[in-house]
This record gives sequence, C-alpha cells and structure tokens, in this order.
Amino acid sequence: MHISEGVLSAPVLITGTALAVAGISLGLKRMDYDRIPQVAVLSSAFFVASLIHVPVGPSSVHLILNGINGLLLGWVCFPSMLVALALQAILFQFGGITVLGVNTVTMALPGVICYYLFGRLVNQESRFLSSASGFACGFLSVLLSGILVAISLAFTGKSFLSVAKLIILAHVPVMIAEGVITLFCVAFLKRVKPEMLGGVYGKAS
Amino acid sequence: MEKRHNIRIRLMILLLLSIIVISDSLPALAHKVTIFAWVEGDTIFSVSKFSGGRRAKNAQVLVYDREGKQLLEGRTDDKGEFSFRIPKVTDLKIVLNAAMGHRAEWTIPESEIVQAVGLLEKKGGGGSSQPVGVGLSKAEMRELIEDSLKKELRPIKMVLTELQSKGPSLTEVIGGIGYILGLMGVAIYFKYRRKNRE
Repeated sequence: MHISEGVLSAPVLITGTALAVAGISLGLKRMDYDRIPQVAVLSSAFFVASLIHVPVGPSSVHLILNGINGLLLGWVCFPSMLVALALQAILFQFGGITVLGVNTVTMALPGVICYYLFGRLVNQESRFLSSASGFACGFLSVLLSGILVAISLAFTGKSFLSVAKLIILAHVPVMIAEGVITLFCVAFLKRVKPEMLGGVYGKAS
Repeated sequence: MEKRHNIRIRLMILLLLSIIVISDSLPALAHKVTIFAWVEGDTIFSVSKFSGGRRAKNAQVLVYDREGKQLLEGRTDDKGEFSFRIPKVTDLKIVLNAAMGHRAEWTIPESEIVQAVGLLEKKGGGGSSQPVGVGLSKAEMRELIEDSLKKELRPIKMVLTELQSKGPSLTEVIGGIGYILGLMGVAIYFKYRRKNRE
C-alpha cells in the first residue's frame, strides 16, 4: 500500500509530512527508555512484513502489521513506522523519500486509532472479547489505511470512490490475515506478558 | 523473572528469523512496479511488471517528450506489454500508472531513437545498391543482419527486464534490520544521557 514517488501533488505531500512530524514528535515524547527495544523489534517486524505477499487480483498486496504495531505502541508507532518505511524506501524502493510523510500517516494513524479503540478491550478478562477485539484491530487498521491512501490519491484527481473500492477489495485477504495474526499475538502476549498490552502509557504516567 | 525475559527475547528473535526465511522462500512479489522499454525498428516495446514477475495488466502507460508534453497514452495488455510506433524524435519518457498509487518510469534517450530512425531512413532510401559479393545490395544485407540481431537480442532484453524487477534480497532485509537495531542503540544512548542528567 505504499504510494510511489511522483504520484501525489505537492499540497498532499506537505500536509502528509506535517501530520507525520506531529505524530512523530508526540510519539518520541511518549517513548520510554525501557520501551525502546520493543519499539525496535516491532519496527523490524513491520519492515519485514512488507515482504510477505498475499497474491490477489491484478496487483500484489502484502502484510502490513500496522494494527499490532499501533496496539502495542500507541503514538510511538509513528516513529517506529517512519524508520521502517524509510528503510523500505531506501533498500527496497517501496514508496519513496518524498512520500515518506504521507506513507507514515496512512500506516501509523490507523494504528493509533486502533490503539484507542481496542487498547482497553484486548485487556479484558473475557477471552472472547479480547480475541474478537484483536481480530477487529488487525482488520480495521488495514481498512483504515486503505481509506487514507484513497483519500490522498483523491486529491490528485482520481475519483475517491473507485480508488477506495479497488484498494479495499484488493486488501480483503490481507485484512483477514492481519486480523488472525493480531488475534494470535494478543492471545500469546496475554498469556506470556500481559503488561505489554497496557499500551505505552499503561505504565508511563 | 530475568530468565523469563530472556526466553521472550529469544522467542522474538526466532519469530523474526522465521519471518525472514518464509519471506525469502516465497516468490518475491514485491510491492513495486517497473517498466522497461526498448526500441526495435520503428517501434518501441515496453514490459511492465510488479517486481518479482507478476505482469501489470491493463495499466495506464503515458508517453511524454522532453518538454513534458504528453504524446500518447495506452494500456498494457494481459502480458503487461505495450508497444507503439516512435511518435517523435526526442527523449521519450514512458510513465506507467498502475493501480493504487503505483508508478514507474523509463526514459529512452534521443540518441537511441535517432539511431533507429536513421537506420530506417537509410533502408528506405536504398542507399548504395551496389552488390556486395553474393548479389545482395548493402541495404538488403543490413536488413538481414538487423533482423537476425533482433531475434538474437530479444531474449537478452527479456532477461534484462527480469533483472530490472528483482525483489529485495536477503542481504537488504538483514541490512535493514541491522539499521533498526543500530538506531535503537542511538536512541537508547540519548535517552540514557538524559536520564543520567536528571
């Protein structure tokens, strides 16, 4: 779901970069000393996830893992994803340097939204509730990313509805895959290290 | 507690490594498009694909001249190919617009086109029709050589398009993870200094 270099117009790029800078500074402020290794591990996971492909339709789509990233990191997923996206742009030529801001926002913002929506729910005692919200978190984060990509493309003259439909349809398998992955991550962490699910400021403040 | 922590870290490393191995064994369908174009006679051929080999079907192709004026527009066929006659002697910029914000471009320099057009004109004009050796005129001879060269070069050009769209290699993946770990070190260093100062 990376937008390539040269597709978007300057105002969209600038807005995206500004939003990304805001998100990153918020994230950096909340990044605790002892959380840094966790951020790095999730950043690496996000970095590699883009190489796992779900072949569908005329295009090719890949795992994103922004749901679990956002769920565990909250606002800190902004810097985490920026690093991973920058490396993907440099090493794999996915996306590009000028679109880095827009791509960071389209990936990280849904993560933050999921964090606020499901951060508490995954911590519930009820097993069903926490698994269901884990699945919903993975599913919704990809859906929201698709919508954000469609919005940024819409400003460059493409019709929003047709682009959104195309992107979302192509990503339905990814949404399901991510839902399942997030579900298992949540279940695993809940058993092994439940305090990780508290989110960044479950501990900090 | 310490031991449990260690196990967790080991588990995460294992998870990461397995992801790398899995992703490496899968066909590397990377999330990127490429377009590759070349001149053949008076026609320009182009092949578009998502790196890893999947062809970009029914994708929009736009051709621009040096000043950025659009010369023509078309769509790739089922094999991701699109060809057109040389519209103008200039640097041609061929832009591929695949769905979902994917874009790639390829430039054919003017010199290549001039050469191709020049050869054609010579062929058309006949040039010197003196027989060379076995009763063939120079122009006919040139045509024969060109034809067989085209046939010989086609597979090589196809291989070039394959190389162009190679997915990321394991080295790049591991390098990227290394960078992230390095950045983690830097971040810890700065946070640690601040913590000490407080």
